[in-house]
Amino acid sequence: MLEVRDLHAAVEGKEILKGLTLTVKPGEVHAIMGPNGSGKSTLSNVLAGRDGYEITSGEVLFEGQPLADMETEERARAGIFLAFQYPVEIPGVSNMEFLKASLEAVRAAQGKEPLDAVTLLRRAREACQHVNLDQQFLKRGVNEGFSGGEKKRNEIMQMMLLEPKLALLDETDSGLDIDALQVVAKGVNALRSPERSIVLVTHYQRLLDYIVPDFVHVLADGRIIKSGGKELALELEQKGYGWLTGEEESA
Amino acid sequence: MTPAEQLKQNSVTLASNAQHQDGLAAHRGEALDKLRLLPFPEKKQEAWKYTGLNALTAGQLERVAPALSADADIASSIPSLGDCLIVVGNGVLTGQLPAPNGLSITPLSADSINDASPDTFFGWLNTASLSHGLLLKTEPNVKVAGIVHLVFFNQAQTPCHATNRLQIELAEGSELTVIEHYIGSGPILTNALTHIQAGANSRLTHYRLQSESADSLHIGNLQIDQQRDSRVDSSQLMRGNVLRRNDVHVRMLESGADLAMRGVFIARDKSHIDNHINVEHVAPHCHSDQVYKGIAGENGRAVFNGRIHIHQYAKGSDAGLSNNNMLLSNEAEIDSKPELEIYNDDVKCAHGTTIGQMDAGQLFYLRSRGIDAASAKRMLGTGFVNETLHAMQDEAVREWATQWLGEAL
Repeated sequence: MLEVRDLHAAVEGKEILKGLTLTVKPGEVHAIMGPNGSGKSTLSNVLAGRDGYEITSGEVLFEGQPLADMETEERARAGIFLAFQYPVEIPGVSNMEFLKASLEAVRAAQGKEPLDAVTLLRRAREACQHVNLDQQFLKRGVNEGFSGGEKKRNEIMQMMLLEPKLALLDETDSGLDIDALQVVAKGVNALRSPERSIVLVTHYQRLLDYIVPDFVHVLADGRIIKSGGKELALELEQKGYGWLTGEEESA
Repeated sequence: MTPAEQLKQNSVTLASNAQHQDGLAAHRGEALDKLRLLPFPEKKQEAWKYTGLNALTAGQLERVAPALSADADIASSIPSLGDCLIVVGNGVLTGQLPAPNGLSITPLSADSINDASPDTFFGWLNTASLSHGLLLKTEPNVKVAGIVHLVFFNQAQTPCHATNRLQIELAEGSELTVIEHYIGSGPILTNALTHIQAGANSRLTHYRLQSESADSLHIGNLQIDQQRDSRVDSSQLMRGNVLRRNDVHVRMLESGADLAMRGVFIARDKSHIDNHINVEHVAPHCHSDQVYKGIAGENGRAVFNGRIHIHQYAKGSDAGLSNNNMLLSNEAEIDSKPELEIYNDDVKCAHGTTIGQMDAGQLFYLRSRGIDAASAKRMLGTGFVNETLHAMQDEAVREWATQWLGEAL
């Protein structure tokens, strides 16, 4: 599904990722953990294709295709979904209008018919229900005036509608209370399937109580320095990141 | 002779040639005298600082627009927006005048013409070259049903000048919804003058839609005079073209008058658009609220000058003006200048202007969901002006405006 080979990436000329290698197979759930500033968000943004995040060497393949050749929207149409750490507010563009445009674009690229208005609305409502988001949010501007938790749930709601092949969740758990965290986890777990891969980028082990990963990787200073099973997350929880990075860290 | 002097002479000659013996002769003659005294607008005048009139050297002030050829297909280019359609082609009424209940629609005559022309060069040129004007006059205390849709269709192959004149008078306690809609194409200059008088306790919903094609030119004057407790709701949608200039002058002459005015102007490619708005609170306890949104892309150029003038005796005035603008390219330019003149201390007055670019974060968010860059930009541009469109009261016009906006972006 996703092959990251010796990836080096820079933001504004500063190298952040320094030789990252990661293989994600269909159906797998990977957690990428690490202290602040280790490059977690850079990895998400490089994979999604944000301007200013430059691959300086190495490569990333998605289903065998080099991501570097694909525009942001082409990646989304190919089946990559990024749940944002900080979802953007877009006043004046309604959530529903946005979902319609997004679904039409992604479905068209996958050779699927656009959903008729009634079906689209029904599915959107179901997705809202799944993440405990009031249907009123469909009429509001995209993320406009949403609380932090509502924004994160809106991300998961979009993900459920778009049914991506690869879901990247960038610190989706940060700033969430336990109730909201469980709602988000329920949504993500509902999407787990043998064809779909999920990469969770997180600082905290807490999320992994609810979404149990197959693999845990520790990212530090732009490289994966340790990989293991779900028990690695528990070890990190007890010991912090310091024993791996060799630095004192107050996480 | 400088180019401006030449253009002035052309204007005077154009107006002189328009003099003929009919009911309006005296008005035309007076306006011509006025015109002779005024200098031709140039960039050295503050009000024309950002708008040069060099485009008019192509000959727009040398010829009167010819009559539309009989086979001109106007009907197919007119959207169905109202219940009562009136079409003026190159300044001349086509077809019959309808007679809705409570409203008289007649040619403007010497007795009915309002002489208080906007005191601008092109305002006087309009009167000096006027032969066909329209007067809409409501009966007192009647709500005119439906929407009156006035279409000014101006089209020519060669540069020429078309005079459009509209006078709307609302009698006490009456209500009216009217659309003045400018369409057409070719290097023709539309010189439009609209004079609105809102009588005591009347309500007017007014739309000014300017969607001529990019190769046309338009200079418009809109004068609104409001009497006691009248309410005017005016929406103005404008697309840039070779030259577009609008002077809007509102006078709140008696207390209790209420004005809601909003506009969207879009300058793409090499088009130009200049709005000069002047709202005068002459009487006490009037309320005005203005919201204008501008978008400029490619080499487009837009100007917004919004003046609020609170007179000495206009105690308890409440006036607001906001102008927010979005630039779509590095080459596009918007010059925005709010002006406040306040001559008493019992007023509430707020004004503000912003100019920004399309937000890169918003663009990335939309693209990360599969929406291509061009569509994403269109969505963000639409979102930027959406609240202004939503504030328009009539659904048919709102729908037209949404489509218009999609095409413009």
